[in-house]
Amino acid sequence: MPLAVESRKVKATAEGQMPRRRLLAWLSSVGLFGSAVLAVISDLVFFKPRVTYSPSARFGIGKPDDFPPGTRIAREVDRVCIVRDGNRMAAISTTCTHLGCIVSISDTGFACPCHGSHYDQDGTVTGGPAPKPLPWFKVSLAPNGELEVDKNSQIEPGTYFTV
Amino acid sequence: MNTPTTKETSLRTAVREFPSNVWSSIFRHPLPSNDLERSQTSFTNFFLHLHPVKVHRNTLRPIYTMGLGLMSLFLFLILVVTGILLMFYYVPSTTQAYDRMLDLRGTVAFGLFLRNMHRWSAHGMVALVFLHMCRVFFTGAYKKPREFNWVLGVVLLLVTLFLSFTGYLLPWDQLAFWAITVGTSIAGYAPLVGGQIKFLLLGDTTVGQEALLRFYVLHVAVLPAVMVLLVAVHFWRIRKDGGLSRPETASAKADAGVVQIRIEPGKRTFGLQGFVRGPFTKIGNVPDDTVYSWPHLLVAELFVFVLTVSVILLVSLAFHAPLEQPVNVMHPPNPAKAPWYFLGLQEMVSYSAFWGGIGVPTVMVVLLFLTPYIDRGQKGVGRWFARERLLANTIFLSLVILNVIFIIIGTFFRGPNWTFVSPF
Amino acid sequence: MRLALAIASFVILIVHGVVFYDQFGHRWERHQNAYFEQARSLTTRPQERAELEARAPHIEQVIVSSFGDTHVDRCTTCHVASDDPRFATYAEPLKSHPYSAAMGDIQRNGHWERRHKFADFGCTVCHDGQGRGVETAYSHGEDEFWPDPLLGYVTQANWRKDFGPHLKGKEYMEANCAQCHTEQNFAGTPNVTRGRQLFYGMNCYGCHKIDGISEGTLGPDLTEAGKKYKIDYLWESIVEPRANLATSFMPKFNLSEADVKSLVIFLKSRRGVNFAETSLDRYKAHVANIAVVIPPGTAGEKAGEQLIGDRACTACHKLNDRDGGVAPDLSYEGLIRDSDWLMAHFKSPRSRVPDSIMPSFRFPDEDFDHITAYLTSLKAPPPRTSPAETYKTLCARCHGDKGDGNGKVAWYIDPSPRDFTKPDFMNSKPRARFVDSIKNGVAGTSMPSWGKAMADDQVDGVLTYVLQTFTKEPDRPMKTRNLPDRNPVASSRESITHGEEIFLARCTGCHGRKADGKGPNSLDILPHPRNLRNSFFVDRLSDRRMMESILYGVQGTAMPPWIDYVSQHDVGDIMNFIRSLNSKPGSQQYASR
Repeated sequence: MPLAVESRKVKATAEGQMPRRRLLAWLSSVGLFGSAVLAVISDLVFFKPRVTYSPSARFGIGKPDDFPPGTRIAREVDRVCIVRDGNRMAAISTTCTHLGCIVSISDTGFACPCHGSHYDQDGTVTGGPAPKPLPWFKVSLAPNGELEVDKNSQIEPGTYFTV
Repeated sequence: MNTPTTKETSLRTAVREFPSNVWSSIFRHPLPSNDLERSQTSFTNFFLHLHPVKVHRNTLRPIYTMGLGLMSLFLFLILVVTGILLMFYYVPSTTQAYDRMLDLRGTVAFGLFLRNMHRWSAHGMVALVFLHMCRVFFTGAYKKPREFNWVLGVVLLLVTLFLSFTGYLLPWDQLAFWAITVGTSIAGYAPLVGGQIKFLLLGDTTVGQEALLRFYVLHVAVLPAVMVLLVAVHFWRIRKDGGLSRPETASAKADAGVVQIRIEPGKRTFGLQGFVRGPFTKIGNVPDDTVYSWPHLLVAELFVFVLTVSVILLVSLAFHAPLEQPVNVMHPPNPAKAPWYFLGLQEMVSYSAFWGGIGVPTVMVVLLFLTPYIDRGQKGVGRWFARERLLANTIFLSLVILNVIFIIIGTFFRGPNWTFVSPF
Repeated sequence: MRLALAIASFVILIVHGVVFYDQFGHRWERHQNAYFEQARSLTTRPQERAELEARAPHIEQVIVSSFGDTHVDRCTTCHVASDDPRFATYAEPLKSHPYSAAMGDIQRNGHWERRHKFADFGCTVCHDGQGRGVETAYSHGEDEFWPDPLLGYVTQANWRKDFGPHLKGKEYMEANCAQCHTEQNFAGTPNVTRGRQLFYGMNCYGCHKIDGISEGTLGPDLTEAGKKYKIDYLWESIVEPRANLATSFMPKFNLSEADVKSLVIFLKSRRGVNFAETSLDRYKAHVANIAVVIPPGTAGEKAGEQLIGDRACTACHKLNDRDGGVAPDLSYEGLIRDSDWLMAHFKSPRSRVPDSIMPSFRFPDEDFDHITAYLTSLKAPPPRTSPAETYKTLCARCHGDKGDGNGKVAWYIDPSPRDFTKPDFMNSKPRARFVDSIKNGVAGTSMPSWGKAMADDQVDGVLTYVLQTFTKEPDRPMKTRNLPDRNPVASSRESITHGEEIFLARCTGCHGRKADGKGPNSLDILPHPRNLRNSFFVDRLSDRRMMESILYGVQGTAMPPWIDYVSQHDVGDIMNFIRSLNSKPGSQQYASR
């Protein structure tokens, strides 16, 4: 099916062929353009990992009994400080809001070793360059009776979970 | 629109014409409506200027070239795109590579599909490059002045094989590990330097972490770069050596339409092209068997592209790329087979290690390189299986058939301990 | 062409759409949504309900790096309720993992607590399967390419169908328990313990090496058997040793199904590095070679009898009513062998029977002394019965009930027992030779000297029985051949060299380049070609018989006559060559028969 011959025929014969050609060209363009758009969207979906190798943002920390009232324990791997005050429990981030160093627990609250930011026991900034208070993470009770911290959901500082 | 107007420019018109100005600055010509614009379209577009302004009508006869070279190019493009995407989730480490394959199959969006596309395109490219070579031979298209382009083509075939071979190891499963073990051992049979070649290739005495890293670098950086460069030269030489291959004029049926070339007076913009050897831009009274590249050649190319892509997509949808057991260095599968395109070699190696692995392939490749310099006859060019080239075609065809037979035997008829088995 | 172009374009669009659509609405998302919905209806706490409302499906995973390789377990993506006790009665995948005291879970105030927390152990550490998969077929390991399918739950499609039912059952998971609980007799892994006992009890340790347990070298090293092989392969290798390797000489032990299962579980637990064993521990065990556990024995014969039981000699041999079905009968050993032969044979079985498959056990010398003392005490002769009965009790175990040389232990014996049903052979040999073979045995083979246990008339009776019952054709007149009694060619270096040349040119196809009877054709020939390095046999062979065998062939075997190809002088050279292979000081006793 030599194309050249066909095109001559088209030129030579009726103009009635033209709409069909237009239609086909239009259809092809729709097909190709559509898949191009889909390809771009697919790529974006592809680039966003569904699961990563970093530790899960939602993790169990043990039973409430493991934390006697008055506990303030930093879990270094999870970068979170578990606080129990009477019946109330909270999980406070130990990642400095300034430039991401790990704050350590001090008598007065938290202190950052990198640039000297200070936080009080609730994570409110009391000194240094930190721009924001330490975020609090949601604590909940999992069905198996263990406490769970979800670092994906921040809550209002001062909101305790009652055990 | 492409000629500057002396209209008064105001901010308002600038704003109003902003879209069309941007458009015309990118696409310097509107969709062509006359021959001059058609030729300009080919000339002024970066992506299209690879094409001649006009091509011979016979070039477009699909039965002649079958678009095999073009398909190979498009497969290469698919491979580049899918390969780059796969690189985002791949780690060339013996402890992680296989796990990453599982991730691609399990959790990465489109991971399995991309891997399928990459795998099948790679196999397809090896096959199509080979078929393209066969086409060029059977139509005698390597004859003067295209001898060197044939040599380039042979080099490209080797690069394609090597690219596919290096990629074969990357999944780090049993299939990959033992295929590369077998494949590199075949290379080790080369006289004098065989052991050294194998050691350089593997970076170690056995296939391991070093080999994986080397194969990865070769596969994603070195060989593709060589490939792109050589492909560019290959295409450039097509233009310089007389344009796209085509059937000889005599065989064209529609010779009735001999018309005089139309030349726009004072607008001989063909310029440099006039120096190009070959028949396209001869000025004067010649039988005009040429048509404009835009749209004729481009539509044909687009069709080949769409065809290639859709076939690969369908195949990838229907068949999954193989992923066998994770590497177990102590437990080779029986039989351990090289990639299919090397199974002909492996089959020959089972008869004679040196002749099958090194002797015959070397002689074959050298013969391929020398083909255009041995076969100097100018007759029968541009026709499939021309009678004048009966001898050359017969020799080549029998070698091709022999190779295919060996590959088929190696693939389907060899069972455990490389004994003869029936696949039925 | 434009129409085709349009069609192809739409093919691309459609395929693209299908692939795109495929990326959403996974089954695990449906499972998780179902869980959220169910849990909402079960919960009593409004807070939890709100949390469940807010949760969207996503891939859950546990990363465990404490146990060897890093495990990435995404099982809880589908089995999302595995740690939610409210879902104990739901159907999989929404069933919660059962609690069990056997696994160390404890009940406190009516609530169970897990000993092995999922966050610490993941799932595949115990269950196997493919932790990274999020599709059933892949994650459960139904894909035949996955080496560790869910232990005891999943059989792969290419596994043998007849084994399928045996390969399921929770007890297989004990193999994984034993990765950490390496102590012997651990209560949670009875099958591993039983398997280990069988490994000793059936003498597996004699041939197979397991680092820190045994040192055998005849069979494959099983230190990493659990990592290398799937359970179907292990099962098959035990019940049909030759299914995978036709040349395997591993005996087919007649084990009960439960015993095979225990052995498979024990072997599956051998993964090289068992997590709780440090490499130092394993090295110490390796050095100490803990395999030889010396049982508290009494003295002399009594100790020997006990040792034979403990060492599981009867896993292969026959002794009284116990019969392993692999190796010769030991019931009359005291009559047939003497203590020197027995001791030498213990130290190195091949020093007495050159092609024996018996492993050299490395027991302490006093153990061998005890066993020898016991065996030499077995001096009760076989009961005098009819020749047919005698054949059945003494001969049939090797030569077969039909006299075809295919008794139950015949496969393990090399040279093979004689096939009496071949008249070509039986009728071309003088009766005196058979009598001699029975009375004095055949040196260097498993045929013992029955003359020491039977009276002459008994021997004669059995021989007559054999010739009449199995060799159907009547005697043919013996051909007399004019052959010298002694090798006419004197042994010299030239003669031996020339003999070797002829041997290499004509004989190696069957007898092998080393003349050990293991030539490339030997596997297909029954009886197998003679091992010409079997000095015991060769040295008792008369020159005349050797020359006759070479020149005129051995009828009823694959040995052809060579008289048309080699001269008598050449044969003499070959014989000198063969003799030279076996020349040992003091063994030149060419008996002339």
